[in-house]
Amino acid sequence: MKVKINGQELEAREGETILELCLRHDIPIPHLCYHPAFGGQGACRMCLVELKEPGRVNNRLVASCTYPIHSSVEVTTESERVHRLRRNIVMLLARRASQNPWMKELVEQYGAPSLPPVQTEPADCILCGLCNHACEKMGKTAIWSMFRGIEKRIATPYDEAADECMGCAACAQICPTQAIKVEEDAATRTIWNKKFELVACRRCGKNFATREQIEYMRESSGYEVDELCDHCRKLTLAQNVRHYSR
Amino acid sequence: MQINPQEYAEASRYESLIKSYPGRPQYILAIMQDLQKQYNYLPRLALTMISSHVGVPVSKIYAMASFYKAFSLTPKGRFVFRVCDGTACHIKGSETLLDQLYQHLGIKAGQTTEDGQFSLETVNCLGACALAPVVVVNGKVYGKVKPGDLEEIIRECGGQCHVS
Repeated sequence: MKVKINGQELEAREGETILELCLRHDIPIPHLCYHPAFGGQGACRMCLVELKEPGRVNNRLVASCTYPIHSSVEVTTESERVHRLRRNIVMLLARRASQNPWMKELVEQYGAPSLPPVQTEPADCILCGLCNHACEKMGKTAIWSMFRGIEKRIATPYDEAADECMGCAACAQICPTQAIKVEEDAATRTIWNKKFELVACRRCGKNFATREQIEYMRESSGYEVDELCDHCRKLTLAQNVRHYSR
Repeated sequence: MQINPQEYAEASRYESLIKSYPGRPQYILAIMQDLQKQYNYLPRLALTMISSHVGVPVSKIYAMASFYKAFSLTPKGRFVFRVCDGTACHIKGSETLLDQLYQHLGIKAGQTTEDGQFSLETVNCLGACALAPVVVVNGKVYGKVKPGDLEEIIRECGGQCHVS
């Protein structure tokens, strides 16, 4: 399927979204809630682009992360209209996370006017939902978006330590605003009001997972898990392979 | 799921209700509505049971329960006062009604009296604007309520007014 992006003709793959096509060709489209691991959620609206469809007079705005290319459309990724909308989104998000450094950068980049913050206590979370999806992908779904409207927030049920949580901190790792607090000392990690014992790599001695994670890996794979960190596991594997390839 | 003996009786009560629905995600709301109707709130244990029955994580069940205003996560009183605070009722003095109820029962919107008799809620519109201001108590509609009528309504429910 041939499509025109900013006047340039590109070949889209079957089922590819506008955002994926653009990212593949290094055409930047800002996005907050899209991640290659989960696809688009269409939640943040930062990736809005102008779209000209065959047989339509007016351009329309679509979220490029959830728009699969199915006809020879013409896309404009940067325009006055798109920029104005993105600026508004940044302005509103900055109202929630006014003190967040990453958010401050965005505000500067888009020249978004500042509004008085909504919360008395500054928040970091912009509710992009990436953490939910990371947790779901890990096979746990210990956290999700709770409540609604201005009270909406990411939490565990009843804000208590969740049975499902294994302390992998995938949520914190993917969070663009570092809104999820992880506390770590030499032997433990505390996240989502739950404390976990950390397991050290038996080769290099670095903490690399929680006890619950190892347990989960063993249960879901059916194999005994060698307590090695990523790096040491690769090393051991490479050494084994060398032994065979001689 | 681990259930201790004290919870066992509670669990079996919820179980018959939950198991009367097929174990598929599209029945979550219906189950929750039934539970809310029967117990006036969604008990914590019941949420976990729904989760294992329909195969949806507890976090998502809790997210749904906390999303809808029709569901309560804490026990409600035997009599639930729903004071309409839609535009018409607001203009017709629903604020005064809320103030009066606070005087009589000592609770604000969203709260329940300590004896578990009364709960107070506000709703955004009941669609009965011609009767503004409207108060609904356990499904019974009182229209054109004057602050002075509230005492009578509370008495009807067997309640004591602190201020006469």
